[in-house]
Amino acid sequence: MSNLEEWKKLAAKESKSDTPIEKLSKDTLENIKIKPLYTQEDLKNLDYLDNLPGIDPFIRGPRATMYTGRPWTIRQYAGFSTAEESNAFYKKTLAGGGQGVSVAFDLATHRGYDSDHPRVTGDVGKAGVAIDSVEDTKVLFDQIPLDKVSVSMTMNGAVLPILANYIVAAEEQGVPSEKLRGTIQNDILKEFMVRNTYIYPPKPSMKIIADIFEYTSKKMPLFNSISISGYHMQEAGADAALELAYTIADGKEYIETAIGAGLKIDDFAPRLSFFFGIGMNFYMEIAKLRAARLLWSEVVSKYNPSNIKSKMLRTHCQTSGWSLTEQDPYNNIIRTTVEAMAAVFGGTQSLHTNSFDEAIALPTEFSAKIARNTQLILQEESGITNTVDPWGGSYFMESLTNEIANKAREIMSEVDENGGMASAIEKGLPKLRIEKAAALKQAKIDSGAEVIVGVNKYINDKEDPVDVLEIDNEKVRTHQVQQLEKIKSQRNNAEVEKALKALEKSAETMEGNTLELAVNAARVRCTVGEITQALEKSWGRYQATSQTVSGVYGKNLEKNETWMGVMEQVKTFEKNQGRRPRMLVAKMGQDGHDRGAKVIASAFADAGFDIDLAPLFSTPEEVAKQAIENDVHVIGVSSQAAGHKTLIPLLLSELKKLNAEDIIVVIGGVIPKQDYQFLLDSGVKDIFGPGTPIQESTDRVIKHILQANKE
Amino acid sequence: MNEFLKDRRSLSKAITLIESSLVKDQEKASELIEKIMPNTGDSLRIGISGVPGVGKSTFIESLGMYLINKRHKVAVLAVDPSSPIHGGSILGDKTRMEKLSSQDNAYIRPSPTKGTLGGVGKKTREIILLCEAAGYDIILIETVGVGQSEIEVHSMSDFFLMLMLPGAGDELQGIKKGILEIVDAIAVNKAEDDNQTQAKVACQHYQNALHILEHKPHWTPPVLSCSALKSIGIEDIWNKIKEFEKITKDNGEFKNKRLKNNQFWFEQIVNHKMITDIKSLPEWENLRTDVLSGIITPQLASLKLFDALYSKKGKK
Repeated sequence: MSNLEEWKKLAAKESKSDTPIEKLSKDTLENIKIKPLYTQEDLKNLDYLDNLPGIDPFIRGPRATMYTGRPWTIRQYAGFSTAEESNAFYKKTLAGGGQGVSVAFDLATHRGYDSDHPRVTGDVGKAGVAIDSVEDTKVLFDQIPLDKVSVSMTMNGAVLPILANYIVAAEEQGVPSEKLRGTIQNDILKEFMVRNTYIYPPKPSMKIIADIFEYTSKKMPLFNSISISGYHMQEAGADAALELAYTIADGKEYIETAIGAGLKIDDFAPRLSFFFGIGMNFYMEIAKLRAARLLWSEVVSKYNPSNIKSKMLRTHCQTSGWSLTEQDPYNNIIRTTVEAMAAVFGGTQSLHTNSFDEAIALPTEFSAKIARNTQLILQEESGITNTVDPWGGSYFMESLTNEIANKAREIMSEVDENGGMASAIEKGLPKLRIEKAAALKQAKIDSGAEVIVGVNKYINDKEDPVDVLEIDNEKVRTHQVQQLEKIKSQRNNAEVEKALKALEKSAETMEGNTLELAVNAARVRCTVGEITQALEKSWGRYQATSQTVSGVYGKNLEKNETWMGVMEQVKTFEKNQGRRPRMLVAKMGQDGHDRGAKVIASAFADAGFDIDLAPLFSTPEEVAKQAIENDVHVIGVSSQAAGHKTLIPLLLSELKKLNAEDIIVVIGGVIPKQDYQFLLDSGVKDIFGPGTPIQESTDRVIKHILQANKE
Repeated sequence: MNEFLKDRRSLSKAITLIESSLVKDQEKASELIEKIMPNTGDSLRIGISGVPGVGKSTFIESLGMYLINKRHKVAVLAVDPSSPIHGGSILGDKTRMEKLSSQDNAYIRPSPTKGTLGGVGKKTREIILLCEAAGYDIILIETVGVGQSEIEVHSMSDFFLMLMLPGAGDELQGIKKGILEIVDAIAVNKAEDDNQTQAKVACQHYQNALHILEHKPHWTPPVLSCSALKSIGIEDIWNKIKEFEKITKDNGEFKNKRLKNNQFWFEQIVNHKMITDIKSLPEWENLRTDVLSGIITPQLASLKLFDALYSKKGKK
């Protein structure tokens, strides 16, 4: 009897089953079966088992010595409302041993609006720093030597003015662009897919990227011209296979764009970098990063590069924000640690660890410190850095790497059949796949099939509030508006006019390098909003079409008592009122994270509600008008970016003004406990924090509607 | 403007009342319609149809904004026929009419459908009247081109516009011949960027197709191209609509068409009422079961059903 047969017998006895392997196997969301045991057998048909780190296809890592020579870079993403505050924070981080800064911008800047624009009243200074011009950028990098410190900028929509401001700020610091080192995210495809902070339609957006590739390949050889991001797909609910496949496919689309613009593969491919999210699925995340390097090498090989660095995938990683919970928030420190370990076992080049309070609000100084220390402890205390790719040769890990690579190849060939990523996105295919995965995941959590400690199992009786960072959005806005007025009064308006005209013309003709023209404009103090608008004249602002999935919840919650109770209540309501309960799902302000809103729309429709969707980026006045026109019973506001304290009171007062106070307003998303009372006092009927099961929120909403209609 | 519909809120509430499935609401709704009748009729009712993906919402956004700038008051009635069997509808119309939906002089009301075939709600006609009484002088009625719905929209509009995609041939086959006979104009949308040549080819095709059909003596449906996304060609389409309005108002066809529409409406109300009444008889379910179990033939069952209907009426 072979050893394996003996094991099977023992396993049968221990698991009390004749088929222990089947019984103990687990299906993942990626539809991969994880067996209870892997053996030499599983390695039989695998390629690349002899691959070594630093050698193509880089499964075991892009560099030969990996962390044994130098550990990964700790890069914590942060931005405080104003350039002054952010600058002080960066300087402190650098003094504390940090090697680079990573800038988070506020939502108004992301969408190319100056702080004085009426549409962004609630957004200025939220979720990052407000930048209106090169003057703000100079303050942001004051006394930070840009030839030595690498700067990572999370910017996609307003890439041109932001990158231009950075180049000009360095220039005026005496640093030529050739010496600039860092990364700009510049990944517009995933914005169209999941994150929604785009400005222009796909075609001109891709031209901007080609222009940036061209400019940086000539003038900024040390700068990463893009960070191709899967992170936001994972945050939007994609499983690991979807995230991997769509990220690599995005990369391929960018290569095609650059080659179409006349660049050679080795001119730009070595400067392409990646960005993955790392969630709680420990083994899968390690396998994902190993498979990513293999797949990228395969993709780039087809373009016959002669520089080996063109084929080498280098990546930044961030622990998952989605896996953080509002309930029992200190558990998040442990989650982040587990995820950080997966990222470094997977061989990341740099890492951001989330702060435990990010499910509730923006991080405080205290929570940010713990997040950073998590990485320091892994680097300095654990011994994890002492050997390269410790998982290499593991029966399980090598087999899982192969399986997830195969899953991703399948998805990528579906993309190819649809004419590449840009065209697939235009058809709405990836978005729909991701939304379906998100709905499935949420339904599994709500039904208890997936456990989240403190949320759907081992729930705390009492939650203690956690300290959160408050932002005085009005104060930031006033400050920015004053700065804008100052700049506009001091600059040479004829030069401004000329620079903007040149941009307008370039947009119209699709000729010329838009980054070069944006640099000229930034130099003469054109603002972020002005540069954006000049191009907008011909290109317009992109408007996404909304697609939603249906049926996923209904199916997964069929046996849930609360859910079935909600369906009954909805039916009774319809019988008594002559129509179904109707809810407007709205997002206000410039926050484009719409996963929550989509999931709510889909689930409530499954429960029998008629759902109206408000356009993204609506103002409170617009939402009130829509609610009245559609005569909804309730407005469900989804808020992820801390704008609620400004926007909700505006919405309620608008409803009052229009004699529609009876329309119920509820809110869900990232809302700190400290704000609950304020919101309830303003007139909000109910608040749904992160992790509220769908069946519970549908139940509470229908009860509110029934109550209101009884009165 | 009617005093019952003095603001947006009251118009919305009135539409909800019209759409209600409760008998007591329906009685109130009929009363309301009677009351506002004198204030209705003074608008241009434009039906807009086309296959999914042709860009109807974008077109309406573009045309609507053009009309708002010309100081019109525009109401958009969007009916979503893709209501799922279980659960409610998800209505995303306003997400595709971002600019228009925020205008003071625009009113957009998407209606969830339930159990009605075709792309138009049962109550769209009444809603048109309400919007007119509330002072809207242009009514745009949007429907997905899925067969029966075009006929319905045609029967409630003064002008029926069909949107088409660039690229000819395949599309022609997708459009039923009867539809080309009722259009007042065809607009080939998405005539932008690389599509322009294809759009020209498509225009030629539809012109030929329309040419072999017989038309009213006073109007030959024009074929135009436009780009709703870039707001190109919208003015030309509007001018054609105005020209049509003038010609038909001068020769009396405008009024005739409205009367014909009323006749169609009348027939529909009767059809609908008949079916509801019949289906509410206890015999309906019983006889259906009997036909299914083979105890009775369909012919005999229907005779029995009508006997039941008329005898009940007689008793009343």
